[in-house]
Amino acid sequence: MTIEFILQKKYSTLIGIILLFCFSQSMAQTDSTATDSVLLKQVELQMQQNTAPENVPQQTRSGITSNPDIGVIGDFRAAYTSQGNKNFDAYLNETEVSFQSVVDPYIRADFFVSFSRDPETHKYGVDVEEGFLTTLSLPAKLQLKAGKFREAVGRINPMHPHALPFIDLPNAYVNYFGEEGLNDEGLSISWLTPAKFYQELVFQATSGSNVSPSFYRGDNNRFLYLAHLKNFFTLNDNATLELGLTGISGPNDSSAVTNIAAADITYKWKPVQLNTYKSLTWQSEIFYSNAKYAADKAYNSFGLYSFIEDQIAKRWFLTGRFDYAEKPYNNSIKEQAYSLTTGWLATEFQKIELEGKYTTSNIETNFYQMWLRWIFVIGAHGAHQY
Amino acid sequence: MKKSIIIFPLCLLFMMSAIAGPIKVVTTTMDLKSITELIGGNKVSVQSIATGYQNPHFVDPKPSYIISLSNAALFVTVGLDLETGWSPQLLASSRNSKIQKGSPGYVDASLGIGLLQVPSSVNRGEGDIHIYGNPHYWLDPLNGKVIARNIANGLERIDPSNKDYYEANLQNFFTKINTKTAEWVTKMAPYKDTKVIAYHNEWVYFERRFGLNIVDFMEPKPGIPPSPSQLVKVIGEVKANNIKVIISSPYFTTSSSDVVAKQTGVKELTLATSVGAFPEIKNYFDLFDYNIDHLIAVIK
Repeated sequence: MTIEFILQKKYSTLIGIILLFCFSQSMAQTDSTATDSVLLKQVELQMQQNTAPENVPQQTRSGITSNPDIGVIGDFRAAYTSQGNKNFDAYLNETEVSFQSVVDPYIRADFFVSFSRDPETHKYGVDVEEGFLTTLSLPAKLQLKAGKFREAVGRINPMHPHALPFIDLPNAYVNYFGEEGLNDEGLSISWLTPAKFYQELVFQATSGSNVSPSFYRGDNNRFLYLAHLKNFFTLNDNATLELGLTGISGPNDSSAVTNIAAADITYKWKPVQLNTYKSLTWQSEIFYSNAKYAADKAYNSFGLYSFIEDQIAKRWFLTGRFDYAEKPYNNSIKEQAYSLTTGWLATEFQKIELEGKYTTSNIETNFYQMWLRWIFVIGAHGAHQY
Repeated sequence: MKKSIIIFPLCLLFMMSAIAGPIKVVTTTMDLKSITELIGGNKVSVQSIATGYQNPHFVDPKPSYIISLSNAALFVTVGLDLETGWSPQLLASSRNSKIQKGSPGYVDASLGIGLLQVPSSVNRGEGDIHIYGNPHYWLDPLNGKVIARNIANGLERIDPSNKDYYEANLQNFFTKINTKTAEWVTKMAPYKDTKVIAYHNEWVYFERRFGLNIVDFMEPKPGIPPSPSQLVKVIGEVKANNIKVIISSPYFTTSSSDVVAKQTGVKELTLATSVGAFPEIKNYFDLFDYNIDHLIAVIK
């Protein structure tokens, strides 16, 4: 039913009301003097009360409690792969519960508890995804973080997966840090340097107890050390550039050391005036790993990803990504992948994404994968990193 | 020689304190910046995070803002969860204890405002509901007085030696806003109860002060983009009530208003929600001058 049709139908019944309304309007206009003077008197009275609140029914602010901000994020998925016998699955991938609050004038605390499904056993387990305190008042523009946290490796690792513009993680990232990423217990100190642009230097020391392909906490006291330098440039009101460098050193499962160097670059264009309608992001990270497995045995490997995310309408996003990855334990195994994700954001509390991915490898047959992800949030949810 | 060794650093210290410069203030919006400048005069240097033509609900928390916040002595926020999606993260990253909530350098400009549309229950099924009440209170010029009082209180907390200066500027602001408000109300009086459509529910304080009657919104619910059924409803209302104008803001597209305008002949008017929305709006007084003049030009 077209708008015109509806209007024609309504027109005949409404015309009388419109005429009546116009008449009452014109009468109201001609008789405005009396009401004007009343309004002016009210205004004058209020103006005499220089600082007092308005003379309106005072309403109590609602929702004030001492509880932390609590939020729950659901991540429901359906997945297809062209490999194997069981190649279709649908499941609640993760339920993340967050508790966030300022503790006192000196620190704040953030907890993220994850109820997620084990991909092998299909059983749900509980894990503290993150739980850390952050100082608010250290001198010299220092900030300390202590607890379990996602470490400061480039752009993807510090973000929770539901905030990424694609469903799967880049191959190179997974090869080095695993599906869960680098996420450990320890300390992090960051310093805002005196540079005229935003420059932050982060140093982290963690136990390395979280199992990842590159690092493993053995029976010794070797910790995992990480340094990250973040540089953020405002090119103009609408465009920004971020350049980051990361170095990581830690024990591996052969009781030797793996060193990883990483670099990231992110360009964002987001017009300030219409930033909810249009945006473009180009982001890339490269990883270089030197993994020593014995005194005379070391592997050097390399990997990268690069994606462009284009906001094509207020609610629609399109992301194309390229992956190149070598296995850290054998750099002769190489894979490349191409993926395309389309996302629909109903509101800032709900999004649906569909991703298709094609992977080629020099040791196995090429294959396709597809995912559908539905993210939904109830309760409080803070901003993600820019 | 020994004396000069002692006196020289003391002189240097004195000179440094003398040339310490104005108090650095960061505000979340341009309206707060304007009022802070009017109260703080030459004692303050003010920077706003949001521009005047930007949706204050959805400011991107760029790390570059952290630098300004890390050096600020005073932070002024609209409050009432208007900036909840971005300012808490920036504040937490600022490493500046002076401006954290509860510190002397933290000013919530909404304290003492008579709030409108305070919900009795919160349900996101109703769209982006603000749990403390409608936060667009600066669009009533008399609320500007409460904002100014809060800002003066903040400045006096961190710089008590200049209290008289801030109080004098505050009184000047009160006098001018009283005079101008009477002028604006008088101008708008002939158009009392004029029915309009608004894009987003952000004009309730302006509506109440100047006697407008907002019949409906282009958004079916706050924060939800206009739907075809909502456009049909609005078109019916425009025709039924002989509505002359749809008021919107610089950060909303006009595509849905264009549809209604095409069907009904209603005019579309982009009003300023903040100082700096248009080049000629340089301060808080200009904001209302602009809006009232442009509104009258359309509805008269």
